[in-house]
Amino acid sequence: MMNLEEAKRILAVFAREGVEYVVVGSMAMAAQGLIRATRDLDVFVSASAANVERLRRALKSLFDDDPNVDQIRAEDLAGDYPAIEYAPPKGEYSIDLLARLGQAFRYETIEYEEIDLDGVRVRVATPTMLYRMKRDTVRPQDRLDAEVLRREFGLKVE
Amino acid sequence: MGVRKFRSVEEMPGLQRRQPLDPENLRQAFGLASLAAGLLPIRYTPGVRKFRSWDEALLSREERARSARRLRRDGF
Repeated sequence: MMNLEEAKRILAVFAREGVEYVVVGSMAMAAQGLIRATRDLDVFVSASAANVERLRRALKSLFDDDPNVDQIRAEDLAGDYPAIEYAPPKGEYSIDLLARLGQAFRYETIEYEEIDLDGVRVRVATPTMLYRMKRDTVRPQDRLDAEVLRREFGLKVE
Repeated sequence: MGVRKFRSVEEMPGLQRRQPLDPENLRQAFGLASLAAGLLPIRYTPGVRKFRSWDEALLSREERARSARRLRRDGF
């Protein structure tokens, strides 16, 4: 299971390596004040070759040079596989990478805010962004989350 | 606590919202996650898995949780 210290360790290395990322999913919901149990780390990343190289460098530095990290490729994220799950060697959690959601969302279109987590500046998606991302996905839980976001933040339905 | 009935999900009271971007929010979320992990431990196969869409990745995640629940139910 990922705990807060582990999440901070990962995100601090992302910052150190200059990874272009935005936290989405349940961790972003929690950061925005809607507390949910958060097992995994979901991050929107830029699929540029330079950014994916920075991401691989960060993950290798975090997980003892894990060779599996080499399978994370910019051409996949920018092409046929916009979602990649990476589970570190201990198998306790996953880091889910997302480079594109439908036709509407890419890293460049994700609006974010920052939260200071004991000195680690963490980029999290805005409530509006989370709402837009969740309202059309397949899981009933996501549609419920979208409804909660709309109601709690007074979002206008487009 | 008694039973309350609603005509739609929209009428139901939502989660109690805390102040956005308060670091305490994440401490609470991970505390909740610790409780969830104690009730239903989930193991991940180390490595990389690729998906053609976010929906496909989420469905895979749900299947893993279902599998963990089955194992738990069957006493493994």
